[in-house]
Amino acid sequence: MKKIIVAGGGIGGTIVANRLTKMLSDQVENSEVEITVLERNETHIYQPGQLLIPFGLTDRHELIRREREILDYRIKLLSGKKGEIKKIDPQNNSVITSDERVHSYDYLIIATGSHLNWEEVPGYNAVYSPWDMDSSMKLREAINQFNGGKIVVNVAKLPHKCPVAPLEVTLMLDDYLRRRGIRDKTEIFYTYPIQGVFGIKSANDLMIKIFESRGINIISPFNVTRVDESNKTIESQEGEKVRFDLAIGVPPHTGAKVIGDSGIGDRRNWVPTDKYALKMKNFSNVYVIGDTTDIPISKAGSTADFESYIIATNIANEILGNKPVKVYDGSVFCYIATGLDSGTYIRFNYNNPPIPPPPSYVHWWGKLLYNKLYWTVTAKAIV
Amino acid sequence: MDYLYLVLNYSVLIVKVIKMQEIKIYKTIDLTGQSCAGPLGELIGVMDEIVKGEAVEVIVDPRSDTKDKLLEWVKNKGYKIVSNREESGRMIVVIGK
Repeated sequence: MKKIIVAGGGIGGTIVANRLTKMLSDQVENSEVEITVLERNETHIYQPGQLLIPFGLTDRHELIRREREILDYRIKLLSGKKGEIKKIDPQNNSVITSDERVHSYDYLIIATGSHLNWEEVPGYNAVYSPWDMDSSMKLREAINQFNGGKIVVNVAKLPHKCPVAPLEVTLMLDDYLRRRGIRDKTEIFYTYPIQGVFGIKSANDLMIKIFESRGINIISPFNVTRVDESNKTIESQEGEKVRFDLAIGVPPHTGAKVIGDSGIGDRRNWVPTDKYALKMKNFSNVYVIGDTTDIPISKAGSTADFESYIIATNIANEILGNKPVKVYDGSVFCYIATGLDSGTYIRFNYNNPPIPPPPSYVHWWGKLLYNKLYWTVTAKAIV
Repeated sequence: MDYLYLVLNYSVLIVKVIKMQEIKIYKTIDLTGQSCAGPLGELIGVMDEIVKGEAVEVIVDPRSDTKDKLLEWVKNKGYKIVSNREESGRMIVVIGK
């Protein structure tokens, strides 16, 4: 029997496990292949949806499901201590969980994701963040009580998950304040680590135009060094100090602690990965998916979805005695909300930059639909 | 006089070579493709991670404007170009602190 272990049951791990089960359906049914997902948490959060919480467009209960309900019933799920990964040992083709059990594998897919490291910037706990479920709920209250003043939107470090989301939260906030009639009493400052507001030129150019037309101030490059909660200021390496009444931000991200504990990542716990084959460097039977990799591509749910086709197809081909044929071309697709009823999108790969269309209601509707379809279509690898 | 000048130049070259040999490449980043953080966004965090004696090797397309932006950024940040070469149509730049 061939054993496939998926280490992590977030968006990437769940989609790739379901896709593999579909591709190897007969082999799983005949017990020739066993697919196991190791995940400490019993619940699954659709994190991209957290961005809509502060504006009352969705709620916590719509973004959480039980992992068991999303996974194909033929996939073995181990959660709690049985699913908490203590060590990944690719030299010995094994993963050790907190119950001290050693799980051997023929193929491993590392899907341990990215995590928030609030402590890396002193005082960052004073910043509200839609990147965290609880903080997003608190931000909803704070925005609701806000009656004018200075708002800072900050990105602490690159890369982070959902790269377009800082743009979205800024533009949705602007629209929300206009609808409440307090935009003229509010100054918005967008602070970003590199020049501009986004890393890709075509999207950056469009967004700067929109920011300017909405009167949103841009301070970049701005690499945050500390947040002073008592004086309500945020400071940068570049010597800027901005006062705020409300701060919204993206805390620094790192890979999972277990990557560092296992000695298989770089200093930020990203796993060295071949950008085309999606294999962990120096290991032919270990694949890496989604935010977990160190490849220079977006850390986004759609990236993991695109990558899942390559990984699942290649593992299935190897098991079925065929050659692994697919390579990842760097495909990414992200909707970008430009208000509370408008949006655009970027679709690109390594070699072809995006051409974002003019914002429209159609793309806003597409974004909402994409979120809604996550549970029944995307996560279940229906397409 | 010419002899002294030659010896001095050779000495400087030898010191440079020894220094380059001492530098360890912490990571190689391929910046030839599109990414949301952009080439500098991908690089900026990695540069924060390196320690004394280390450098980051980046691969860029010499025909793109990334090369010029990169060199300007290195200068503005006060970092240094340890080496810079072209290989199979790609530019390979080693950046240190």
